[in-house]
Amino acid sequence: MDDDNTMPELAAVRDQWVGVEFDWTTFEMSAENMVAWAKACGETDPRFIDPSHHDFQAHPGFTTHCMSGRVFPKEFPQIGGGFGIDGGKRVEVHAPIRSGDTLTATTTIADIFEKTGRSGTMIFIVQRMEFRNEAKDLVSTVDWKMIKKAE
Amino acid sequence: MTANGSPCRYSVSIDSNKMRLDLHTHSIKSDDGRAKVENYCKWIAKKELPLDGFVLTEHRQFDADSDYRQLEDEYGLAIMKASEVETDYGHVLVFGVNDDLLAAIDFTNVRLPIETVLDESRKAGAFAAPCHPGRKRVGLFAHYEERGVVQGVDTVEVLNGGSIPGEDELSLAMADRLGYRGFGGSDSHVVSRIGFCATDFPNQQIVDMEALVHALYGGNFSAVSMRPGDSD
Repeated sequence: MDDDNTMPELAAVRDQWVGVEFDWTTFEMSAENMVAWAKACGETDPRFIDPSHHDFQAHPGFTTHCMSGRVFPKEFPQIGGGFGIDGGKRVEVHAPIRSGDTLTATTTIADIFEKTGRSGTMIFIVQRMEFRNEAKDLVSTVDWKMIKKAE
Repeated sequence: MTANGSPCRYSVSIDSNKMRLDLHTHSIKSDDGRAKVENYCKWIAKKELPLDGFVLTEHRQFDADSDYRQLEDEYGLAIMKASEVETDYGHVLVFGVNDDLLAAIDFTNVRLPIETVLDESRKAGAFAAPCHPGRKRVGLFAHYEERGVVQGVDTVEVLNGGSIPGEDELSLAMADRLGYRGFGGSDSHVVSRIGFCATDFPNQQIVDMEALVHALYGGNFSAVSMRPGDSD
C-alpha cells in the first residue's frame, strides 16, 4: 500500500498519548452565565432559566463551552495535515451543576483513531474534559473531537 | 445460537416463507453511531417495519461484550453482531467474527489489504463482503478501474440506505456485470433509518450468526429497498 508507513506512526502516537492528562483548570458557575447559556439554547424549562427555582441547575450542555487552557499536551506530535476542524462535542451529565459551584476540570487525550469516508482518510483526536465539583463528584464529561486530514 | 454463543430465543417471523434482515446497522458502539439498540427495537415495533431482525456492524471493531438476548425476547427480533472493517479497496462487512479472525486481523487498521480480509474470513469460517461498493473512495468499484478486479469477491451490498443518488445504481450495474450476488442493508446510524434497505432470505430460518453465514455462502437471498417512496 502506498501509505502503509503512516499506520505504525499513528499507532505509536496512540500508545504514547492516549490516557495522558495534560491540563487542569477551574470554572466558577454563576447563575447569570448558566441562564444566558440555557436561553441561548432555546431552553424554556425553569430549572435552567430561573435561578429562584428550587432545582435550578446548569443546562446539560453548559460545560461544552468551558475550554481548557491547552488544546494538546506539550510536545504532542504533529499528526495529519493542517490545523484540523472541530468534529463536535459529546456531553454526558452525571449530576446537576449548581450556581456557585467551583468545577475542577482535567483534560485527557481519550482516543486517537483513523477512519475513511467519502472525503478520504481522516484522523480523529478525542480530547476528554472531566468536571468535578467541590465534593469531588464527577458532574460532567465532555468529549471533543478534532478531525485532521491524514497526509 | 446468538453471536455470543448463547441460545437465540426470538420466535416471531412476519412471513413464514422468508426472513428479512437488515444486514448493516450501527449503534452507539460505533464512534459515529447515535442509535441505542433498544431504540432500534422500539422503532421497528412502533412503525411495524417488516423486519425479522438486524445485524450490528460496528466500525473497526467487534463488540463481543453486548448481550441483546433480552431485547430479542421482548421484541421478537433476531439481533446479531458483525463488523465493518476498512480495506485498501473500501469498506467490508464481516459476518461470523470469531476469535481466530480477531487474532488474524487488526480491525482498527484502516488500510487492511482486502485479500487478507477475504482470505482470513474464509479460513475462520466467516463471510466477508464489500459494502456500498458504488461509493467514492470507500467503495470497492471506485478502485476497480485503477487497480483491477479483486479475486475472491462474489457478493456485495448492492442496496445501502446511506447511499447518495448514483451510488446504488453503480453498485447494481457493476454487480450485474461481474456476476456478483447482492444483499441490502440500511447502514443506519440513527434510529429512524433502520430498514431502509434489507435482505430477504426465502425459505430459510436464520436464528443465529452461524445460520446467517451459511445462508450468505448459500447465495439464496436478494436485496430489497424499503426507503420512503420506494415500493417493496
